[in-house]
Amino acid sequence: MKEEIVKIKENSVKEITNCKDEKELNDLKVKYLGKKGELTVVLRGMGSLSAEERPEIGSLVNQVRDELEYLIQNKEKEFKRKELEKKLQTENIDVTEPSKKINLGSLHPITQIIEEVEEIFLGMGYKIADGPEVEKAIYNFDKLNTPPDHPARDIQDTFYITEDIVLRSQTSPVQARVMENQKPPIKIICPGAVYRSDSVDATHSPVFHQIEGLVVDKNISMTDLKGTLEMFAKKCLGENTKIRFRPHHFPFTEPSAEADVSCFVCGGKGCRVCKGEGWIELLRLWNGTSKCPKKLWDRPRRIFRFCIWIWSRKNCNGKIWDRGHEIII
Amino acid sequence: MKASIEWLKEYTNIDVDVVKLGDILTMTGSKVETIEQKGNDIKNVVVGKILEIEKHPDADKLVVTKVDVGNEKIQIVTGAKNIKEGDIVPIAKDGSELPGGVKIKKGSLRGVDSYGMMCSIGELNLGLADYPNQIEDGIMILDKSLEKDIGKDIVNILNLKEDIIDFEITSNRPDCFSIEGLGRETAASLNETFKNPRKNIDELNVETKKELEGLKVDIEAPDLCYRYIARIVKNVKVGPSPEWMVRRLKACGIRSINNIVDITNYVMLEMGQPMHAFDINSIEGKHITVRRAKKGEKITTLDEQERELDENNLVIADDKKAVAIAGVMGGLNSEIEDDTTTVVFESAVFYGGSVRKTAKKVGLRTESSSRFEKGLSAENALRAANRAVELIELLGAGEAIDGKIDVYPTKQKINKIKFDVEKINNLLGTNLSKQEMVAILEKLDIKVEEDTIISPYFRMDLEFLADIAEEIGRFYGYDKLDSTLIKADTTLGIRNKEQNIKKKVRDVLVNNGLSEIYTYGFVSQKDLEMSNISEETVKYAITIQNPLSDEYKLMRPTTIPSMMQILATNANKKNQNVKLFDLSRNYRNIKQEVQNGEVPLQEEILTIGMYGEDVDFYTLKGLLENILEAISINHYEVEKETKNASYHPGRCANIAIGKDIVASFGEVHPEVLDNYMISKRAYLLEANITKLVKYAKQNKKYVEVPKFPAVERDIAVIIDETIEVGQIEKIVTKKAKKLLESIQLFDIYRNEKLGENKKSVAYSLIFRDKNKTLSDEEINQIMEDIIAELEKQLGATLRK
Repeated sequence: MKEEIVKIKENSVKEITNCKDEKELNDLKVKYLGKKGELTVVLRGMGSLSAEERPEIGSLVNQVRDELEYLIQNKEKEFKRKELEKKLQTENIDVTEPSKKINLGSLHPITQIIEEVEEIFLGMGYKIADGPEVEKAIYNFDKLNTPPDHPARDIQDTFYITEDIVLRSQTSPVQARVMENQKPPIKIICPGAVYRSDSVDATHSPVFHQIEGLVVDKNISMTDLKGTLEMFAKKCLGENTKIRFRPHHFPFTEPSAEADVSCFVCGGKGCRVCKGEGWIELLRLWNGTSKCPKKLWDRPRRIFRFCIWIWSRKNCNGKIWDRGHEIII
Repeated sequence: MKASIEWLKEYTNIDVDVVKLGDILTMTGSKVETIEQKGNDIKNVVVGKILEIEKHPDADKLVVTKVDVGNEKIQIVTGAKNIKEGDIVPIAKDGSELPGGVKIKKGSLRGVDSYGMMCSIGELNLGLADYPNQIEDGIMILDKSLEKDIGKDIVNILNLKEDIIDFEITSNRPDCFSIEGLGRETAASLNETFKNPRKNIDELNVETKKELEGLKVDIEAPDLCYRYIARIVKNVKVGPSPEWMVRRLKACGIRSINNIVDITNYVMLEMGQPMHAFDINSIEGKHITVRRAKKGEKITTLDEQERELDENNLVIADDKKAVAIAGVMGGLNSEIEDDTTTVVFESAVFYGGSVRKTAKKVGLRTESSSRFEKGLSAENALRAANRAVELIELLGAGEAIDGKIDVYPTKQKINKIKFDVEKINNLLGTNLSKQEMVAILEKLDIKVEEDTIISPYFRMDLEFLADIAEEIGRFYGYDKLDSTLIKADTTLGIRNKEQNIKKKVRDVLVNNGLSEIYTYGFVSQKDLEMSNISEETVKYAITIQNPLSDEYKLMRPTTIPSMMQILATNANKKNQNVKLFDLSRNYRNIKQEVQNGEVPLQEEILTIGMYGEDVDFYTLKGLLENILEAISINHYEVEKETKNASYHPGRCANIAIGKDIVASFGEVHPEVLDNYMISKRAYLLEANITKLVKYAKQNKKYVEVPKFPAVERDIAVIIDETIEVGQIEKIVTKKAKKLLESIQLFDIYRNEKLGENKKSVAYSLIFRDKNKTLSDEEINQIMEDIIAELEKQLGATLRK
């Protein structure tokens, strides 16, 4: 019987090792380990053995069965792996084919710039203020010390609804409103649309956007204004940006200045964008004591105001969008 | 204001070149617009003498000449016809340069070498007006007297070099609208002494008379005319002005007319005071009145145009007629003629605002009006009058009559300001001593007496200490100011609720594939009609009095037309899939606010416009739900809207919070699409952000991860086609109470077998109790309740 078992083992190991596919393996499993399998049959014949032989043969059969089961399992795994490999082969894809993403939209360049500027000033402790676009003339002009006959009041420059109501020609009325309603210290920027009676051409638009700033506090000076705007220019246009103050005149404040920033294209060497000057006028600013706050608060405060001009080309408005938007600003 | 450097040098020493000077003046506040360097573009062009002219061997139209150019005699081939032997001409030698970047090199014409070119006036960029004896299409023939200068540079010989700076003059500095004022700025900027060449004029004392040569003056409108001075010159010889004067006028952009007119212009440029000269014989009654014009009064100005005036315009008049529009232009009827013998020089000061309005009304902005409108010094007017008379005598053009007429009802106020060194330093952020400040002020002729600053008569802009701080700042140097940051109490830099919500809304939209546009707030009546805007809303539109065009006449009461225009433009350009949003305002005059001087309603509106393959009503609805979710608005109703004429009557809805409609959306009405020539279905949404901000919650609540399992049940019911599925959802939600976690419609099925006009609607419901595991019995009971209620209310039958 022992010989028989050894023979079964030899045959079965050989057959399992050489088996070609899963079906053959299954047949072999049945052939050796099934209910009527060769090894099972041997096991059943154990009854005819002597008591001394039984444990020895029993353990031999079990050992062979374990071995066969192990072999079969391994073989099964091998076949599965091969099968998977084959399947994976057929599932090969071209990773460079186009994706199926949901396209992102985009913010208008004016919004992008305004948000960028807002972040810089929020970081310096400023709040954002806004007010009506259809505004009282008294806020657009009178409260800013614009004399009754100032050219800005002409119908050639400002849109009128009635004698007393205009389309704001600047965001400054927001400052007037904030100064009326708030006690110092005040630190605000006011971005927004403004209206001027200019026909649309390459550099003009009846509607454009401004960002004005206003600070009212006790101990502020022209040097603070310069530092603040320099900080803004560096954050917005690059760390190497320089700022240049030029004396200028605005009716509402003294001293007044215009500020140029070093050209962000050539860095100040002079190029086509800055017309060879190395500087670009970007900011208009006013600083000093203005008459209006004195009336508003018991103690005079010093204020400074600045204005950042955002020029957008006319086709920003009513621009045609398609998949590859170009950004025009 | 154009200023020639040569003229400025009369007032101060200028040692720097013109470009450097421009930079320095820009940084002290006199902004340079342009710098012109005349004569710099002509190089190596010399005076030459034609020695011989011979025929060209191979060309009939050319001649070969020998020319003496000083150090050598050169051969030049030319086609010129107006030359003869012995002529003195400008010669562009080999290697010379002419205006316009033209370079002259030796060459060969039909086989004969030519070593240069004879120049015409055009080639030297000169005009016939300045050289009337020359011809345009021939060589410039120079005066015989220049034979002594053969070989010398033509630029020097003809005095072509001229440096001119054009300044932008700000409205507070009318004094800088003169060479004198710019001279003072230049001297201070260069730290040089200001030489006052008009000392004699300043010290002159001319007696004031009531009547001069029978002439009398009255000011009837002292609110518009602050001073009127007249000086008279007799035995006038009208003729050309001397070359130096013509040249200076020309450099400043003014053409020479005759000596009398030129003197008025010269004084204006020199001192900033516009003047007027007229023939005394043209003044009827020898009586000048400065008065308001009568409504409809007409005058023909010097430019031979008839102008109509009204009561807001000031005129200079005699007893019968207006002879000049005050401060703007003289009348043709009192013009200086060649036979004029007695001339009145007027030097007056008018109210700037009035001159500006008048100039605008008659459409004439002159050198004179642009100065007056800034507000001129009445003190300066007298200097100008006396200077004009001085020039007449200097030119020998007439004899001055002693005395002046001087009507001066409102004496110019001289501003006095208390000097406060500390305040100035605080304002500028500087640390200057009083001496340093005084030194700067003195350079500008601003006197300091003890603690009082006295503004000079020509600086009416200096009223407050801040004005003085600016003077000190700009001459100390703005570039020398430090850059510091505010040292003050910390302030909070945060966005408010509305700003946060707008930012969130933008984020949601961009992440959902929409692109932002900006539109103008203007619309036309036609735009509103094209968008089928209701009459009620159209009534809210605000009319602009002075619109750019009819297209931009109204401030929009709704943003729909603006979006429709952009959709139409895109459709017209065949853009396939368009998804846009605009976050801007509408403007509604609901309670006649603008008529009452009040600000009208202006609300922030989100407008979405879309068309394309992947968009329909439900995409838009989903987008809106996403927005509402992002700003934590959870309780709202979607209500069908059939009456909004901009939308498809069967495909439009409103979002209501309570009774407040916060948004409308749907498919664009086919008529509207047709009006805009859009051939695809398009979708619109308007959401009132101002209202949504009110309802939005900003505080977030934490929701626990569920501890107990959910139970899922499906239900399908058959209902009439007309019943909105929203009603089923309402009933289910009500009956399931707090246990319903979600309700999801997953199928709508239509089939004849269901019956006519019936549909089957299938939902997947998820129930969960956060405190325990739900039992089947509990859920079964709820499901039964739901089905019973659906049957009762909607006549629904369960589909099995």
